[in-house]
Amino acid sequence: MAEREGQGLASITFELLGMGKKIAADSQGSLCAAVLGHEIADVSGEIAHFADQVYSLDHTLLARFKPELYASALEQLCQNVNPDTVLMGCSLDNLNLAPRLAYKMGVQVITDCIHLAIEPETGHLLCTKPVYGAKVISTFKLEKKPYMATLRPKAVEPIGPGPIRGEVIRFDPVIDESAVKVELIEKIEEESVSLDKADAIVSGGRGIINAEGLEQVRELVKVLGRYFGRVELGASRPLVDARLVPSSRQVGLTGEKVTPAVYIAVGISGSLQHVTGVSGAKTIIAINIDPKAPIFNVADYGVIGPFEEVVPALNRKLEEL
Amino acid sequence: MEQLHIIVCIKQVPDPEGPADAFKVDPEAKEVTPIGIPPVISPFDENALEAALRIKGHHATKVTAISMGEKLAEPVLRKALAAGADELILLRDPHFKDLDSYSTASVLSSAIRRIGVYDLILTGRQAGDWDFGVTGLLIAEILQIPAINVARKVEIRDDRVFVEKLSRDGYEVVKAQMPVLVTVSSEIGELRYTSVQALKAAAAKPMKHYNAEDLELDLRKLTVRRIIGLYAFHDQRQCTFIEGESSQEKGENLATRMRKDGLI
Repeated sequence: MAEREGQGLASITFELLGMGKKIAADSQGSLCAAVLGHEIADVSGEIAHFADQVYSLDHTLLARFKPELYASALEQLCQNVNPDTVLMGCSLDNLNLAPRLAYKMGVQVITDCIHLAIEPETGHLLCTKPVYGAKVISTFKLEKKPYMATLRPKAVEPIGPGPIRGEVIRFDPVIDESAVKVELIEKIEEESVSLDKADAIVSGGRGIINAEGLEQVRELVKVLGRYFGRVELGASRPLVDARLVPSSRQVGLTGEKVTPAVYIAVGISGSLQHVTGVSGAKTIIAINIDPKAPIFNVADYGVIGPFEEVVPALNRKLEEL
Repeated sequence: MEQLHIIVCIKQVPDPEGPADAFKVDPEAKEVTPIGIPPVISPFDENALEAALRIKGHHATKVTAISMGEKLAEPVLRKALAAGADELILLRDPHFKDLDSYSTASVLSSAIRRIGVYDLILTGRQAGDWDFGVTGLLIAEILQIPAINVARKVEIRDDRVFVEKLSRDGYEVVKAQMPVLVTVSSEIGELRYTSVQALKAAAAKPMKHYNAEDLELDLRKLTVRRIIGLYAFHDQRQCTFIEGESSQEKGENLATRMRKDGLI
């Protein structure tokens, strides 16, 4: 299932296509994509460069994500085309959609996978995902088709070049608007951030305490802008729960999993919930007053000291260099 | 409005914040055995319980906590009663070991049907052990009720549930008619503090036990997780500590080191 972002396609779409292509090849199948939305001819055409068939589910009532309608539309598509495997991106919306579709299809869904493979002897789907806060990696076997899995963003390589000319097929599901039981009252956009695209991220945690402390962290973000194309402010859960930083900036198991060149953790103790999200960073720098903070176990560089003193000095020096 | 009935599903898990080496992996038996760390209520389920207790603060509400498992530690789950739940229902049976998400949801749904009347079901957004995040939604599908996921706020007004649910760029305010199932995220807030007195008082609160037979479950329909591989994962890095006479000097030295090692 393709993921749209604004007028175009989200990067996870190409990762799903990459994974799908491999699975299709290993099971002598073809690769199909489904696009749901309204006025989606452009994105459907774009995906046709990578997939054998693109099913375009174009309907005014599918313009916005509504889990009840999306699940029903996808169920109808699955009944019609009988896929062996159904892949989706692991997102907040799909955490709502995937179980509904799995229930309708009478199958299991394995969420947040980082790797998928076909078991050669049986043709079953093997789904690998981090469990126990990423302390353990587990591989689950799906035996009943359609195999369903959601894929963690940035876990696999996107589909490579080698454009083909797939066919765009219009599929018109029956949409029953009365199935929608949850009514949207208001959409509040706090801030649109793409932590996953940042070259450097500075995150604050419990140790930051207040807005004043956060200002120094923001200053570091600003200064690093001299050296990196895209620098973003991140946060661990306590700052988000305290509403000092919006949820979209949360890094961790239930926030974004990030892969910047440099990740600086300021006043973050290093709970598993958080470090799970940063293990993909190339270099991790931790600044913390507590020498025993677990964040130092996963960091490449550590500074033991109060951030109120360390960070301003770091900022000054970074501006001088 | 009459008294509301909220059901909160709570799962017992090994403390997810336990150190990495406390989770012993047996690749042969395909089992994770926690060593020396206590079981806890799964953190997001605690958030769900807190959401229920906040509603209880505004409306006449009965809160029923329900937990399912092969082995359940009563003192751990009794914390729900101490925090303010009115009743605890334990679904315990050897057949409940390693159930997959669908079977877990179907056992919980059977128990919820048996409870009968309810207005709201709350679950954590995902469990602290297997991190699937699908059981809540499956319960809603089985019971044929609306579901809303990843809530950061849950309120009841005019017989309707109003939820602020997380979205990628912020949040959405949605409403639905009851009964409804809502999965809860940590943004709701941590479970309130429970005093020793409350823990003692909780002993007097009602606790019910059901097994598979009580729930009239068809055991042939219960299916288990098929795990074929399991290994421990450690993202350990060698940390170079930046030294200095003072904290300021350490900060400056970090900048110099970043330049020297080609980070900037």
